Amino acid sequence: MNILVVEDEPKAGNYLLNGLQELGYSVSLARDGVDGLHQALETPFDVIVLDVMMPKMDGWEVLRRLRKEADTPVLFLTARDDIADRIKGLELGADDYLIKPFSFAELVARLRTLTRRGSSREEEQLHIADLQIDVLKRRVTRAGTRITLTNKEFALLHLFATHQDQVLSRSMIASRVWDMNFDSDTNVVDVAVRRLRLKIDDPFQLKLIHSVRGIGYRFDTLP
Amino acid sequence: MNNRRHYSLTLRLALIFALLAFALLATLGVALYRELERELIKRDDGALIYRADQLRNLLNDSNTLELIKTKPELFQNMLGNSESVLSIAAPGQKPLLLVNPGNIEIPNVTPVPKDHALGFSDVHHLPGVNGVPFATVAASIDSGDLGSLQVTTGRLMTERTAMLASYRLSVFVLACIASIILALVGYLLVHRGLLPLRRLAKHAQGIGIANLAERLGSHGTPKELLPMIDSFNTMLERLAKGFVQLGQVSTDMAHELRTPINNLLGETQVALQQNRSIENYQQLLASNVEELERLARMLDNMLFLARTDPASALRQRQELSAADEVERMADYFEGLANDVDISILAQGEGVIWAEPMLLRRALANLCANAIKYGAPSSELLIKATPDAEGISLSVSNRGETIPAEHLPRLFERFYRVDESRERSSQSNGLGLSIVATIMQLHGGRYSVTSEAGVTCFELFFPRREA
Repeated sequence: MNILVVEDEPKAGNYLLNGLQELGYSVSLARDGVDGLHQALETPFDVIVLDVMMPKMDGWEVLRRLRKEADTPVLFLTARDDIADRIKGLELGADDYLIKPFSFAELVARLRTLTRRGSSREEEQLHIADLQIDVLKRRVTRAGTRITLTNKEFALLHLFATHQDQVLSRSMIASRVWDMNFDSDTNVVDVAVRRLRLKIDDPFQLKLIHSVRGIGYRFDTLP
Repeated sequence: MNNRRHYSLTLRLALIFALLAFALLATLGVALYRELERELIKRDDGALIYRADQLRNLLNDSNTLELIKTKPELFQNMLGNSESVLSIAAPGQKPLLLVNPGNIEIPNVTPVPKDHALGFSDVHHLPGVNGVPFATVAASIDSGDLGSLQVTTGRLMTERTAMLASYRLSVFVLACIASIILALVGYLLVHRGLLPLRRLAKHAQGIGIANLAERLGSHGTPKELLPMIDSFNTMLERLAKGFVQLGQVSTDMAHELRTPINNLLGETQVALQQNRSIENYQQLLASNVEELERLARMLDNMLFLARTDPASALRQRQELSAADEVERMADYFEGLANDVDISILAQGEGVIWAEPMLLRRALANLCANAIKYGAPSSELLIKATPDAEGISLSVSNRGETIPAEHLPRLFERFYRVDESRERSSQSNGLGLSIVATIMQLHGGRYSVTSEAGVTCFELFFPRREA
């Protein structure tokens, strides 16, 4: 995946560049709006991460000019938690937004969703190692053993299984599984994951749910 | 804003005074003028009648007739001024005597018969010359040998007209002067009367952030201004209270920020003192992330509380099934509650008219508290009760009774019942104030009771207005 990051703040630009490169993406960094627009028009990117508050040319202007030429997916970053601000961005043709401070895992998840858009087809059968999930019948078996899950446990497992190798943040899990779109002060997600582990992982040698300290959870077959 | 020009009360009142004074004096003047005019006419007419009567008597004497013929100047002198007219003539003949110094055209007036006494009604008023009225009386006289004679006497009322004109002018001038004087006096009086208002304005101007405790004095102000002063002072009271609260919130927030920042700073500095293993660094960074997330959450909550634009929040209101929403809460917290052996019971029906995310946030904050403070092996009850006005949602748990003195302050920002115990990373003291804000946005109510080991929070959402 080819990503352009347009961010004037040096530290933020650097960590975005490093973080995304470490995940195996090819990343270009522009330090201001003018350079960002230039690069965006020169090279075809899969997705653009655009900061709104920048000197010379702000994110809105970059977006406005970019949309005249290309429809590359754009995720904008804003420090202003203002509904009007968000609506403005989406009206200008942005595809998604994140409010600073945001979790890096959340950014990665959003970028993946943006680039996968259109080609995402709901799979009916999921196989991860010896775990089998029948989405339609809501039936889960591991190593031939049938596992009974509650509705929410199933929803959580399904979310994990469809986002393999990705780190999922707690707030993202809360929002996708329970439709709670705010950071709550509770550890509801941790408790739910622990309960799911009890059924999915604990009786087996190979663990599938991994805690990523300080960020959230990852679901994959790596140890 | 209306951009109409502001009028001056003082000027307006002064003008009203002036107009009233003028109108009053002018009316009085006109009435007196009419009376005077009538009296003057009566007097003049009386004089004419008197003269005609005299002539009637005189002319009965034949000597007098002789006298007229020989010494007419005697009669001329008798009339005394140039405005008077006198003619004595036999009908259809040249007058025996004609006194007419002003050369006034003598009108033809029917004479009063001989045996008829003269009265006011016999005087004829004619337009006269140049608008100056002319009064005249004519009478038949029996003069013995000369037979019947006709006496016509009249007078042009120049003097009277001039006098009345000067009277009119005086009335007008006096009315004008009086109204000007009253306008000035009125202006001064009103200006003086408004002095307390200007004093108040000056005082109010001096009240700022530094002396919000100051109140407007009502000493020496008229009764009419007291309600204004009172409401102004009440407003100051509210402002001062709000200001103190705002300052308190800022202070509290700064203190709240201290803990996570202190942790971050301390842990990181200690870690950098010497070389450590990778695991140690990872642990440090993870701990830092925790603190930073706590900061981010607090920031998020503070911004949420500071947002005061209900319109945009309420635009997304929906009719939500109460049964679904309480069930969702039970679902969400089930695991957490099970850990401390609390069972959640969700029941109720009806429709909630609310913004879904805000509603869930409010309920989640209440449920999280209920689980945190709930007694082990007890029940957490989430209930929805609809009525004609809306729907009330209650979250109640068993646990320690909250002392009554804390209850009214529970919804304040950063307020904690027990300072030492609850300063944990799980709580930032904003949860209930967020609930309060959400309820205010929805125009609803919130309350809490805590009795005999049961603490119950109740939220009331008004129903959708038809």
